[in-house]
Amino acid sequence: MLFAAGTRHAMARGMLGAARNVRNAYSGRRLVAPTRRAVLAVAATAAAAGSASLAGCKGLAALNPPPAPGPAVLALEHSIAAEEVLVATYHAGLVAAAGHPASGLLAAVLADHRVHLAALRSRLIVPSGSRARLARTLGRRPVPLSLSSVQPQMATELAAAERAAAARLTGQLLAAPPSLAQLLASIGASEAAHAMLLGRVK
Amino acid sequence: MRRQAGKSANAGQDPAVIAALQAALAAEQAASYGYGVVGSHLTGAKFAQAYADGVAHERARDSLTVMITDRSAQPRPAAVAYQLPIRVASPAQAIALATLMEHQVAAAYPALVAVFDPALRAFAARRMASCAVTAARWSGHSQAFPGLRG
Repeated sequence: MLFAAGTRHAMARGMLGAARNVRNAYSGRRLVAPTRRAVLAVAATAAAAGSASLAGCKGLAALNPPPAPGPAVLALEHSIAAEEVLVATYHAGLVAAAGHPASGLLAAVLADHRVHLAALRSRLIVPSGSRARLARTLGRRPVPLSLSSVQPQMATELAAAERAAAARLTGQLLAAPPSLAQLLASIGASEAAHAMLLGRVK
Repeated sequence: MRRQAGKSANAGQDPAVIAALQAALAAEQAASYGYGVVGSHLTGAKFAQAYADGVAHERARDSLTVMITDRSAQPRPAAVAYQLPIRVASPAQAIALATLMEHQVAAAYPALVAVFDPALRAFAARRMASCAVTAARWSGHSQAFPGLRG
């Protein structure tokens, strides 16, 4: 699993919130006996603060802003965006190819791309702090590639798009962590097979 | 055969890399054998296709053999004969065997894709793609996740 940028940031904010609640419990405005959990939390916070100061940490303010996403997260986001474009393109192509013998192949390839997209999305965990940045890269409505409305030109254009997608994945998987590299290699292999099948459309 | 200590000495000590290479080699050896059976049931363009596909597996087998010996390990030899996963007595069954073998060889490569050596990783990814293309050429269908599942 890959955590998009800001996960640690969000976790740190959660811990701050817990500490604040504990302080409120001791403010005296409410007569609340400290619970065992609150006492333990205060003790843990104090211990953490002590070790932090001993280690010479910069303090909690240094957690802002969220860290930039790592290369694996960016590769995943780009792959998701590329699959979204392919899904949108095949949707448009299927409408234009209605009644043509190639429409069965287009529907099968679209089904492959839908599961590619689902598998890639399942690898990305989006923390609340990253939603604004991800909305800029992934939230946009994908723009389908422009296609000829007649065969076999449309199939030729789709085959070129598949080859380009496979080549991009082959480049990205070299720097990816092992399990993501395996997924990208498999999706790239699937897209290479799509290109071959589309190249046979008459 | 031991190589002199040097540039490949460190790479040769990783058992996970050697195991992944040996597994891929075993799959390519089996497919090289199997395509002989496939070709014997086909004629014309389909025979030519089976011959070319068999050569592709033999080339991959030879590349893997070199990769293993370069890492000071001993490539495991091929079996004299292999039990085929399906009975082959007709052209349709030969094509089914070719498709099945491509799927199985593709499944031998994700372990090598997981290796950090970029040359090995690129080779493994290329082989996965090549097997997926060849399987689709025989069967007329693509898979969503060649080598992984389905």
